[in-house]
Parts: sequence; C-alpha cells; structure tokens
Amino acid sequence: MTAFWNVVAAEAFKLVRRRRVYVLAGLWWLLLPSLVLIVGRVLVSNLAASFANEAGGVDVLVQTLASPFGIARIGVVGPAYVSPTFYVIVVAALAAVLIGEERSHKMWKTVLVAQPSRPAVLAGKLVAAMLAVGVLLGGALVSGVAFGAIGTLFLPTTFAGEWGGLLRTYLLQWAFSGALVAFAFLMLYLARNVAVGMILVFFLPGLLEALYSIYAAVVGFQPINRFNVFLQGIRLRQLLEDLPTYFFSANVYAPARAPVRELTAAFTEAAGADGLDIGGLIGANITLERAVWVVAGYALLCLGLLAWRFVRADVD
Amino acid sequence: MPAIVARNLTKRYGRALAVDGASFEIGRGELVGFLGPNGAGKTTTLRMLAGLIRPTAGEGRVLDQRVPGPALRRVGTMIEEPSFYPYMTGRDNLRYAARLHGGVKAQRIDEVLDFVKLDRASDKRVKAYSQGMRQRLGLARSLLWSPDVLLLDEPTNGLDPVGIAEIRENLRAVAAQGVTVLVSSHILAEIEKLVDRILAIDHGRLVYDGSLDALVRRLDADAITYHLRATEGPGLLTALRELGLEPVAEGDLGARVTLPPADADALVARLVGAGVTVFEARRQVDDLEGAYLRLVRGDGRPS
Repeated sequence: MTAFWNVVAAEAFKLVRRRRVYVLAGLWWLLLPSLVLIVGRVLVSNLAASFANEAGGVDVLVQTLASPFGIARIGVVGPAYVSPTFYVIVVAALAAVLIGEERSHKMWKTVLVAQPSRPAVLAGKLVAAMLAVGVLLGGALVSGVAFGAIGTLFLPTTFAGEWGGLLRTYLLQWAFSGALVAFAFLMLYLARNVAVGMILVFFLPGLLEALYSIYAAVVGFQPINRFNVFLQGIRLRQLLEDLPTYFFSANVYAPARAPVRELTAAFTEAAGADGLDIGGLIGANITLERAVWVVAGYALLCLGLLAWRFVRADVD
Repeated sequence: MPAIVARNLTKRYGRALAVDGASFEIGRGELVGFLGPNGAGKTTTLRMLAGLIRPTAGEGRVLDQRVPGPALRRVGTMIEEPSFYPYMTGRDNLRYAARLHGGVKAQRIDEVLDFVKLDRASDKRVKAYSQGMRQRLGLARSLLWSPDVLLLDEPTNGLDPVGIAEIRENLRAVAAQGVTVLVSSHILAEIEKLVDRILAIDHGRLVYDGSLDALVRRLDADAITYHLRATEGPGLLTALRELGLEPVAEGDLGARVTLPPADADALVARLVGAGVTVFEARRQVDDLEGAYLRLVRGDGRPS
C-alpha cells in the first residue's frame, strides 16, 4: 500500500504544477457561474417588469437558473451538454498529464525505476485522476453556491432547493466519471502520441455510435437480409435495437443528465403520443439504475485491457 | 554475493536478436565499464537489469533478487538521455521522483543537487537546461534514494570535455562510497580513465570480460605509446635513451616514446629511479582504441 500512496502523492504533486489544470478549474469554477449570473441579470433587467412576469414566471426562471442551488446544479448538468462534453475534456486533459505525457516526455523509464511496482503505479495514477475530478467537481459545487450567494444581492433569488438530491447527483457523476477516466487512460496509453490519444477520447465513442446509427437508419433491423434473419434466429435483434441505451456516452453522463429528465418528460407528454421524444434525443431517458451496471461494465473492460497491457509492456 | 548477475540474458525482438545469452557477475562496490558500438545491445541489457523490459530467456539478478522485483528500489538508473518534465524545475523533478520512490528526505534533494553542482540552477525550469545540466540532473536523480547499484547508460553523451571530467569525478566519488556502478559507453576513451574492468558486447554477444590492461595484452598490441612530461625535457630524453628507447621530443618538456606492453608498467618508476621528475604520463588512446576495435571486429576475439 505504501507504494500506491507514494504514487498518488507524486501524481498529485505533478498535477498541481500543470497550468492546464488551473485553466480547466477557471472555466468551470469562474466562467460558467459568471455567465449564468449575467444571464440571470439580463433576464431580470429586460423581463422582470414586463407582461412576461405577470404570473412570476421570470422570477421562477431566474430562481431555477441563477440561485445558489440553480448555479450549483448547472455546475454538474451543464458540462454534460456540450460536445465534446466538458467532462470528457477535463478527463482527457488529466489523463494526458498523468499517463499520456509519460511517453512523449520519455518518462516511463524514470517512473518505473523510481517505483518498480507497476500495479501500484497504474492504480495510483487512476486514483490521482479520480481525486482531481473530485476536486474539480467539488469546486464547481462550492463556486456555484458562492456565485449564487453573490447573485442573491441583486437578483430575486434565495437559497431554496433540494440540496440533498444535488449532492447525490455530484457524487454519482464523480463515480460515473471513473469509466471515463478508465477509457481515457486506455486510449492515451495505447496511442503513440498525446494528440492522437485525446482525439480518440473525444471522438471514438461518438464515431462508433454514429456508425451504428447510420447502419440502423440505412439497413434497419427488418428481417429482409440474411444478417438480420440470423440475428433474429439467435434472439439478438432486440438487443441490437436496444443498443443505443448501452452506448458509452449515453450512460456515463446519466447522473448529470437526470435533473433534465423531469423537464423533458413534461415536454414529451405535452407533445402527445406522436410528439418528439426530447429526452431520448438529449440522453435524459437512461435510468440511473441500469446506467450503473452499463458504466461499471465499460470501466471494468477498459481497466482490464489497460492493466493487461501496462503490467507486461516493455518500456521503450 | 555479487551485486549484479546476468545469466544467459537474452532479448529477441521478432527475428532480431538484441542480446544473445549474456552472462556476467559484478561484485559489490565494483566500477565496471560496459563497452560496445552503437546497437551492440548495451542499452537493452541495462534495460533488462533495470526491470524495464523482460528478457526473452535467462535472468537478471540485482542484490541477489530477480528483476523485475523489489530489489529495484535500491537501484538508480540513467538510461540513454535522461528525461524530465520540462514544465517543472530541476528541483521539482527531483521532488516528484522522491515522492514516487518514497522514503527520501527533503535534505537529500539538496545534497544530490550540491553533489552535481546544480544547486544554483535547481529552480529553473528543465526546458531551459543545457545538455550538460540535464545529464547532471539525471545523475542527481539516480542518486536520490542512495542506491546500492547504479546503472548508467552513456552518461557522458553529448558533454564537453569539462562536463565529461565532472561526471567522471562524480562517479569515482560514488564508487568510493561502495556503490556498484555499471556504466556503458561506445567510446573507450571516455571510460578507460574511470574503470578497471570492462565488459565488451558486440552484436548482442559478450565478447570480453576483464581488465583494460589484460585486453591490450590479450590482443597482442605490438607496442604502447606514452606521452611523457617532466620538469626537464632534455633530461627526460636522455633518460629514455639510456633505457634503450627511442623518444621523440614533444615541446620543451615532453617526449613521446613507444615500447612493448610488458615494459610499460615499470616505465615511470624507472624514470624516477633515473632521477627524472615526471609530472605527466599519458598512454596514447589509439592503442587501446585499436585493440578494442580489433576485438569488436572479430580479429582478436578471445576464445
């Protein structure tokens, strides 16, 4: 265990000396809540005295977005809704520092002599990455509350909100990020250079999912070809049709996207049976209970492959 | 108990044989040169001993334990060009390595920086370091946890003569503390002043294991040339002639003389006995280099 903790301490030491970590923290802790506060202020300035706020709708919207609870919630939900997501950017950047640059700086020959226990090195680096993700997520929560508190001085907002549920969302998203970390470590370790590794982390899941979608759209799953007849025969067709619900990117952000589920459910219900399934489009329909198993499966697969390659590899 | 043991150490990359059954033992406190042309298998052998690559066959043992294994915690290495995180200072690179290894006190970092004379530049980022500074920082890092064994791969690569001399002095000081040092080079002249014993490798096979003097004798070097300097040049020339040699004057105080290897060891003593104060006696490197080249070219491969 000593070797493992030595690696965690050394990698943490390295991370705090990397400028990009502070850039990511700045974007997440300062820029995002600042933008939300500005949006809140613009809404209040332009609409608070208008007919739109006759029923207090604008006040409710500002409380939802720019209150301490609202900004803290956007701190965990928002990063799951850009492409590539901010989560994957953070994790890829951390993995590049922790495992990708060892090859580009030719540091493996130094690292693995200073600490010859390869399992300890790999486990220590993974845990250091998870700690860093935890610090960044925790910082987003704290900064959201702090910026929201400042907002209460000039916006019609309060500290009200379901804080217990929000804390659970943060914790779950942190835990789910483990699969993202494992995937990013695997890609950056296997890739010959950091840039290629990061591109794989950003786009490989999306690419595979898009290929599947194209196949599904063009060929479909009707039993009109031999392939689908075969799949039907071995009862795999249903699984293939359900495949999108097992996609990596659909599941790994499930906790962060969960708060949006109620909203999209209301929209879908209003649209009626023939309406557009908005939740499905933005990945909010995945249930947390099943996502846990799917994400755990991805994490185990990536970690297994990574450990198998790392422990027995020759160092260039 | 030997500090380093290689038993039939073999490494194959596909069809290419990088190291072919190398076997040797190095005792504790020995300072041994590992010599061979580029691509001979020196670095691969050192990497196997450092646990960085796994042998295809055979085994490496360090401090009586098989590698890779826990004994590597008592090994310091500098394999090829030393690598660092360029965005960190020299001191921070050492702090990182110290944390990774564990059990290294902060004071030790100052000690090793002082030892390699980098204490003043230690707070500069490594990307601003010269080649020589990097080599010295690499040596400092390899000494950080006070290793019992040092594996150094061409530590003087790319250094100027002053830098080479400094590294040489550092290694002598380290060896004097009882550390076992295996230092590789492809240039004989760089390590002939440092080590007494050499291992020579060529095309992956160990072709020589013994002393430098024995190498010269074994390969039947016809003659050895010495460059001598004494307090009185004419007196030196006269004394050499009286010893039956044919010296050639080199400047006011010097002379060059060629003699059989068997007579070389006693030359300075005989001159001192003849009343000549010799303040420099330097063997011409070409002789040794020639012997080495004949060895690796196969002309004089020992049986």
